[in-house]
Amino acid sequence: MSDQPIPLSGRILDIGVRFLPHLVLFAVIIGAWEISVATGLITSIIIPRPSAIWSAIVELYITEGTIYRHFFITLTEAVVGFAIGAGVAVSLAIASSLWDPFRRYVTPYAVVLNVTPGIALTPVIIAWFGYGMGSKIALAAIISFFPIFVNTLTGLVQVDEDREELFNSLGASNVQVFRKLRAPAALPLMFAGFKIGLTTALIGAVVAEFAQATDGVGVLMSRFSFQLNMAASLATLLSMTVIGLILFYSMEFLDDRIVFWRRESRRAAASRARARTWAAQAKK
Amino acid sequence: MVKHEQSMAAAGDVVVSGLNVGKTFAAGTVVALENANFDIKRGSFVSLVGPSGCGKSTLLRLVSGLIEPTSGEIEVHGTPVNGPRADISMMFQKATLLDWRTSLENVLLPTEINGTPSKADKNRALDLLKLVGLEDFAFSFPAQLSGGMQQRVALARLLQTGADILLLDEPFGALDEFTREHLNTELMRIVAEVRATAIFVTHNITEAIFLADQVVVMTSRPGRMAKIINVDLERPRPLSIQTSVEFNKLVEDVRETLGAV
Amino acid sequence: MAVQDATSEALVDTLERSLRNRRIAKHVGIFLTLTLLWELGSRMGWLDPLFYPRPSNIIRSFWLIYFQNANVWFHLYSTISLVILGWVLGSMLGIGLGALVGFNTVIRRFLKPYVIVLEATPRIAVAPLLIAALGFGVNSKLAIIMLVCFFAPFINTLSGVINVNEERLELFRSMRASKTQILRKLVLPDAIPVIMAGERLALTAALSGALVAEFIQRDKGIGSLILVYTRNLNMASAFACIFTLTIIGFLIFKGMEKLDHYIAYWKYEGGRERMSAKRKRTMVEP
Repeated sequence: MSDQPIPLSGRILDIGVRFLPHLVLFAVIIGAWEISVATGLITSIIIPRPSAIWSAIVELYITEGTIYRHFFITLTEAVVGFAIGAGVAVSLAIASSLWDPFRRYVTPYAVVLNVTPGIALTPVIIAWFGYGMGSKIALAAIISFFPIFVNTLTGLVQVDEDREELFNSLGASNVQVFRKLRAPAALPLMFAGFKIGLTTALIGAVVAEFAQATDGVGVLMSRFSFQLNMAASLATLLSMTVIGLILFYSMEFLDDRIVFWRRESRRAAASRARARTWAAQAKK
Repeated sequence: MVKHEQSMAAAGDVVVSGLNVGKTFAAGTVVALENANFDIKRGSFVSLVGPSGCGKSTLLRLVSGLIEPTSGEIEVHGTPVNGPRADISMMFQKATLLDWRTSLENVLLPTEINGTPSKADKNRALDLLKLVGLEDFAFSFPAQLSGGMQQRVALARLLQTGADILLLDEPFGALDEFTREHLNTELMRIVAEVRATAIFVTHNITEAIFLADQVVVMTSRPGRMAKIINVDLERPRPLSIQTSVEFNKLVEDVRETLGAV
Repeated sequence: MAVQDATSEALVDTLERSLRNRRIAKHVGIFLTLTLLWELGSRMGWLDPLFYPRPSNIIRSFWLIYFQNANVWFHLYSTISLVILGWVLGSMLGIGLGALVGFNTVIRRFLKPYVIVLEATPRIAVAPLLIAALGFGVNSKLAIIMLVCFFAPFINTLSGVINVNEERLELFRSMRASKTQILRKLVLPDAIPVIMAGERLALTAALSGALVAEFIQRDKGIGSLILVYTRNLNMASAFACIFTLTIIGFLIFKGMEKLDHYIAYWKYEGGRERMSAKRKRTMVEP
């Protein structure tokens, strides 16, 4: 193994080689698809041609750029809804973990909330919050609440006997045990809950849009579908995928940074950072 | 080159033999084992002892047929080893029981793989569980058994096929000392009773000497057989023999060999 | 990579334990108190009936929809039958493809980017598209349900098939087991718990999928019923339907739990003991 850094050209070639088979497969699929529809093998009413989808994409994203407003509205609905749901869920979870009676009496209602399909509340939420973004955010918040609550609570309540013993032997107070042991230990599960919650928040936002809305990618997709403009509908679906990917990778990023001790690459980086801080402090 | 305390290939039935056996990994960059030569007589108990990386587990896997040597050859019962075979049975460090099967069903696993177990097979399995002292747990699931008990089930499974060559890869390494000592005694009793030939890998010097007729001391980087020490202590061996002078001389011998390289 | 939801079981466990501990009286007490306060507040005009339908009205609605008008049964049947059918078909497809992809490294590699994209997209969002493409009616509803409950079983089966314990594989190889034997005796039983977890998620998703389809189509089913009642501002009846779904959701939860205890028995102490006794009985008989 040479110690020389791999030249940039080599690296690009490397990445290229890895992606090439995928690109080829993709091209083949699109090609076969286009031909099937063009020759009438598949009816173009239900399944649009890739070229039609492409023109729709160009129109929505580039020429007229109508999609961006809706994109950001749905993204905002999902994120704000998630934030509210997460805020409430984490607070309740922390409270439940610290006060047993509270936990006991809140749990039945949390369980009821869990078993009920949150989607069922959509019409009610819209009746309560109106046709604007409020109802989307509300549904997103309600649906994302439970997974975050459950995961955070489980994370906070889980007990590592050895560690508890250590803290006891050091004479740590309850607050210290919470701050220095329970809370950090709960982070991995909390983030697992966040990931699920974020996904469900997006679903909530989109479904609420289906039911009643003027703006948002959900509405746009719905409208295009019922105009039988399948190509535009799929082009809009693409933006939903993008939202999903943005949300997922943002959470992954946060997870990686905050719960850094789980991945070797992050551990190494964090070690170096700590060493630097120490050295800097030692100089003073 | 291998140093022999005493030639192993004395008169008698040699059931496992290796000639210049070597194994490298990663296109030759990692030499796990080199130049291993051995002849193991029927009914003997051989321990392989050494630090991590000395190639003892590799050697065991080569004999079992799970991996192929890069150089040299291994023969069992006079035929070369080409892969796992019916006359060899192996036990691993983790009990590796299937948790959806009862103890009895776990013991029957090797028989099942070789065909449908007959009534005789089932009775044999029950007898083996009795032999390892677990007849009351024949219908228990692994999750209901302690680590030591699980290893005992694995031991019964090892014996189920009636193979006369038994390979054991640090089977008691994860257990506490008391359970380990107890199982060591049991193992010796059982191996003697079924008259099998055993090759036992461990990193515990006491265990290696206590169990064996011959101790193969292996050193690492690269993995080689450094010395073969005969253990002429009486059988059956009581635990108390571990405090005797002869025993401790042997321990010293092993340590010296390990330290010297 | 597997989608797990084991933590909510822990919560229900806590709940059940506290119920058993004679605290059930306290729970019931608190619940009744809250309900009475609510009722009182509503009668006094403090609580807007839009947001806080009167409990007595909700109870009356239950009576109406279940017994007097008995209109809920038809809709319940419509929703539940579609959910079950869609769940069975969708999850079977998911398991089948998951196993297929799991066994084939090449296919897996090529499918990976598409799976990532599929995972990020909210599957339920495709509902309007499917309805427009397949028309209003059972077909599109079924398609939506199948789509939403395909994914979790697919991912879980894939994961279960890939993540076989190395040591167990070595054990089987040392016993000269054939590929089929490894599949039948190791991979399959090992994957069962994960597959069951995926099935649970799929069933929950199927119910949500059905509801969304009904919201859009508005023809029949519990979802349509909720929509109609809400439109007419009959919040009491809407809530009665929502609580019906709570009951259904709870039954699904309990039902899947029982099924899991039966199929993946070795993960549960009760299941192990039950199986032990059963195996003992069948062995002892000549």
